[in-house]
Amino acid sequence: MRTNVFWISVFVGPALILLLIFLIIPIFASLYLSLTDFNVFALTDWSRAKFIGFRNFYELFQDELFWKALFNTFYCLIVAMPVTVTLSLLNAVLLNREQTRFKNFFKICFFLPFVTNTVAIAIVWSWILNPSYGILNWFLGLFGIKGPNWLGDPIWAMPSIIMLVVWKAVGYNTLLLLAGLQNIPDFLYEAAELDGASSWQKFWYITLPMLRPTMLFITTMMIIGYLQLFEEPYMLTQGGPLNSTLSVVLYLYRQGFKFFKLGYASSIAVVLFLMIAALALLRLRLSRQD
Amino acid sequence: MRKILIAILILATVFAFATRVLQIWAMGEEAKNLHIMAEKFMKENPGVKVEIQAIPWSAAYDKILTGIAGMQLPDLVQMGTTWMAPFGAMGVFEELSPYLEKSFINKDMFFKGSWQTVMMNGGVYGIPWYVDVRVMFYRTDVLGGVGYDHAPQTWEELYDAAKKLAQRGKDMYALSLLYTGVFGNEFMPFVWQAGGRLFDENGKVRVTDPEFVEAIRYYARFFWEKLAPIGGGNLFQDFATGKVPIFFSGPWMVSMIKQQTPQIEGKWSVALMPKNKTRTSFVGGCNWVIFNTSKNKDLAWKFIEFMTKPENQLEWYKIVSSLPAVKEVWNYTELASDPIMRVFGEQLKDAKSPPNIPEWEEIANTISRRVEEVIYKKRTPERAAEALKKDIEKIRR
Repeated sequence: MRTNVFWISVFVGPALILLLIFLIIPIFASLYLSLTDFNVFALTDWSRAKFIGFRNFYELFQDELFWKALFNTFYCLIVAMPVTVTLSLLNAVLLNREQTRFKNFFKICFFLPFVTNTVAIAIVWSWILNPSYGILNWFLGLFGIKGPNWLGDPIWAMPSIIMLVVWKAVGYNTLLLLAGLQNIPDFLYEAAELDGASSWQKFWYITLPMLRPTMLFITTMMIIGYLQLFEEPYMLTQGGPLNSTLSVVLYLYRQGFKFFKLGYASSIAVVLFLMIAALALLRLRLSRQD
Repeated sequence: MRKILIAILILATVFAFATRVLQIWAMGEEAKNLHIMAEKFMKENPGVKVEIQAIPWSAAYDKILTGIAGMQLPDLVQMGTTWMAPFGAMGVFEELSPYLEKSFINKDMFFKGSWQTVMMNGGVYGIPWYVDVRVMFYRTDVLGGVGYDHAPQTWEELYDAAKKLAQRGKDMYALSLLYTGVFGNEFMPFVWQAGGRLFDENGKVRVTDPEFVEAIRYYARFFWEKLAPIGGGNLFQDFATGKVPIFFSGPWMVSMIKQQTPQIEGKWSVALMPKNKTRTSFVGGCNWVIFNTSKNKDLAWKFIEFMTKPENQLEWYKIVSSLPAVKEVWNYTELASDPIMRVFGEQLKDAKSPPNIPEWEEIANTISRRVEEVIYKKRTPERAAEALKKDIEKIRR
């Protein structure tokens, strides 16, 4: 038994120590920081940070921009999640058909946005969305539609960001759903066919229920991912215009690393963490019920 | 044979320990070319080795921040003027007054606005290295087409010219101004030109003064009346086609316009900022800063002195063509005979920097936010100024 403990610690220890240093300690540190007024003056001398209890949270809930950021973030989640799921499922089903040709080519195409650096993507998209020279408004112009000033208009800026976010996420989720589809045993479909089920019925009563574990995984990951929206607005709009694309993490970044109010930024992080945890748990609970 | 080898080895180690190493962090174009000056410095100072670490501008802020947090710092660093206050507030810059007493360097050698950037709480925390100042870039031919054979000299003239330029047709504008993101440094010159200010001598917030409000209205009006474009476009392309024939920017744009749009060579020029009460512009650039963790402070100071000597400032100008911070250099023919440089030199005499306080970044953010609200007509200039006053008072509390 003793040797077991020894060998376990030898093998697991290094990983645990790294986890402790780079994940667990920082988590608790930021939890503590959120209760202090840690700011620019405290950075070199930690003793200058005072313990102030829940004052950061009190201020946060009165902070107009925080509410705005929260609204924007949920706007992104609520629109982007169903769209991503629908498009990914559509792609996956099409890729799973036997008749589809060049499957690997399409898989690569769908997956490329996911593995490409967001910074590069953002630069290309800022050109696509450019109101005077952009390809998107040129395309809309072919149909006689005058495209909006995508990133310059407070109403259209968030939809533009969502477009980019969805486009980037679809490839990854398509592959996951495709794997899910391929795991559905053929005999289920054969039996359904014998019973005279239409292809729509097969999809509704076999494909969707059998995909439930995959769906659970991708929607949970999406909740976690979309609530942490950052790179796209950071690169494309810096949160503007009129803070219409300011996300919670972008606001956190600004407070923490631009204004050095690390205490306040940590309190945003704590609130965000609680929200993500609550939503993810809710998602798991919902799936257990049915 | 072996004895000789050992002797060489011992000598080498002794020599290695005798060499003093000066570590410098530098950024951008400066970092790429600083070795030329460093070699000259090493020739003048045998036994000294200068190590330059090049940091891309995009990573510089984080690099310095983590360096300070972990106390892993070089002796000397190139510090952007707008970063002086936030990093200075962390208490890692060496106060340079004692060095100045025994040196040929004094504050009168530099432009007033530039020297402001090294002063914090009455102490001197850096020495200007090079400066940049914003001026007006304009298309001489396009403005000539609407009856302006000279650059707009005053606020009225700029507005009048802008009106005429926008009337040239659909999708035609006059000037490019920032309307989103953080544009405190771009907006403040308008406040200064109107005679306004952020704080008075007692530190009271003065953004609701009529001068400040006037600046907000003047700035936003260019957007209300579609004289400045919102969204899209590309500065170079729009400048070359004449769609947006005026913009305000710094010296780096001179070579960039030449490279990116050679087709308009001879059809553009630079001019001083338009005058309201003054023609004040924004001055930035980079300073030299010694970290107080350095063990080679005397050597670092020696390098600063070396870089401040007028002949070396001139040499540096020839290498990267950044504007010399030392006033005397501007009298040399290399700069005085260049019509574009003359404008920059003239503008430098009337240029300010934002207040050197660590909260500036946050204040610049809120200024941008409130001005943006006026541009998008969510608030009147007066209401925006009131909101801005509350914001700034909260930040400074």
